[in-house]
Amino acid sequence: MGLPPATSMVSMAETVIDVADLRCRYGDFEAVRGVDFEVRRGELFALLGTNGAGKTTTMETLEGLRAPFGGTVRVLGLDPFRERAALRSRTGIMLQDSGFPADLTAREMVALWGVTSGRRATEDVLARLDLQHRRDVRIKQLSGGERRRLDLALAVLGRPELLFLDEPTTGLDPESRQRTWDVVRGLLAEGTTVVLTTHYLEEAESLAHRLAILHEGLVAVSGTLVDVLAAQPARIEFDLPDRLDVTALPMLAGDVVHRPTGRVEVRTGELQDDLAVLLAWAGREGLRLGRIRAHHASLEDVFHNARTGREVVAA
Amino acid sequence: MIVALGVAELKLLLRNRTAAALAVLMPLATGLFFALQMDGEEGGWTMVVTLQLLFSFGFTVYVTVTTALTARRQDLYLKRLRTGAASDVVVLTGILLPVVLLGVVQALVLLGISVAAGAPVPARPDLLALALVGGVALSCAAGVATSGVTGTAELAQITTAPFFFALIIGGLFGSDGVVDLPVFLVPGTGLGSLVGAAWGGPTDQIGPAALSVALWAIAATALAGRFFRWDPRG
Repeated sequence: MGLPPATSMVSMAETVIDVADLRCRYGDFEAVRGVDFEVRRGELFALLGTNGAGKTTTMETLEGLRAPFGGTVRVLGLDPFRERAALRSRTGIMLQDSGFPADLTAREMVALWGVTSGRRATEDVLARLDLQHRRDVRIKQLSGGERRRLDLALAVLGRPELLFLDEPTTGLDPESRQRTWDVVRGLLAEGTTVVLTTHYLEEAESLAHRLAILHEGLVAVSGTLVDVLAAQPARIEFDLPDRLDVTALPMLAGDVVHRPTGRVEVRTGELQDDLAVLLAWAGREGLRLGRIRAHHASLEDVFHNARTGREVVAA
Repeated sequence: MIVALGVAELKLLLRNRTAAALAVLMPLATGLFFALQMDGEEGGWTMVVTLQLLFSFGFTVYVTVTTALTARRQDLYLKRLRTGAASDVVVLTGILLPVVLLGVVQALVLLGISVAAGAPVPARPDLLALALVGGVALSCAAGVATSGVTGTAELAQITTAPFFFALIIGGLFGSDGVVDLPVFLVPGTGLGSLVGAAWGGPTDQIGPAALSVALWAIAATALAGRFFRWDPRG
């Protein structure tokens, strides 16, 4: 499962977040329409979906900022809305928008947050996020990336046991994004549980242990990263040589689609076998298969299928 | 936590030039102007003191509370603070505290200036204290309520105008002597009447005046509970 053994042992034992039949409304509009999932201790759980899928609404409910319209939510065994005060010193939250007053400096903001978050600073968080040299600059003069890093610095202040990150890397340059990932990996290694939303699927693919993809307020896909990817067919693509009909292809385990462009696409659960059969056939017939590509499903494929309504449910 | 929030809020207030000018310089300048206008006419001082106090309540407390809360909400700072350990009451108290203190200090400084310029010492300081406490409470609650219906900090200049002028005009009515009871429905009348009575004016309307101040403070608090929002998204 890609987890260090010690973490796997723990993750089997304890559910940190339990969401059952969650429903959220804005007036008459039901943004979240019955969502279930759970997050286990020590894992990174990614909540994915398009804009308007219900990610942030779900996050804000977990964070205790809004009451659910229906269903139940338990965070560290508590009701996040009613028992917000008890949860705060144990959870770090990075909202989608930072929410900084423009005229405080980075250092003043860290000092204020050390008091109001209920979590005392145990290290120099500004140094950890490479903001040390900008500590006395007013927040309005920081760049977008620096503000996002300050935001992360505040969220991880005092090492909370549960961390919510709502699109932490949106708008960051590649280097800052990498630094954010390093910080998150460091926290995971220390045993922090992380709930992440992101629009960058490669980010989820490289960090997440388990995930759920929301679509129009419902869970379209959920499971461990490995299972979710394995449930999707792999793909082989190539250009069929001229004057050859698709019926000439050998028997394959997967489904064959012949596109009008002449490109053939094989969607298969048996990538290695089908590829071997195909290449052996081409070798025997002396054919060149143009621009051949073979790859396992990526989160991109899973995401696309979830949006177009092809149901995939991994165990 | 309240102290940390209050110190941060005071810094924000003083670092924003427009807000600082409106909250600090404006009432001081107008208050000073009123005091210097006086040429030793005996009865005029009541009006001067009333105006000084109401400008402190109106500008320093009411308009500043409205503008500050609206700006902090717009910045999503209020939303952020709710992700911390401070309860809603603590967050609001922390943000309001420096503004309230500023309003009280300013009112006292202006009164000091007036007395130094020749105004008589109040005959009933207890009534002055009542007006001070009531006025600050009422203006503060009204500011919280008004920020709930104010989308941006710029719009606060418009949304605060009706209550602000009602406060000043009512205060002038009230300080002028005995008024018809319905006039106490205007928010500043009770305050003006108490100030007038404190400086030797008629004291037979202390009851209705105190009642008017209390009812306006309660009504403003109720409206604050109804209209105040933490998140611009609602």
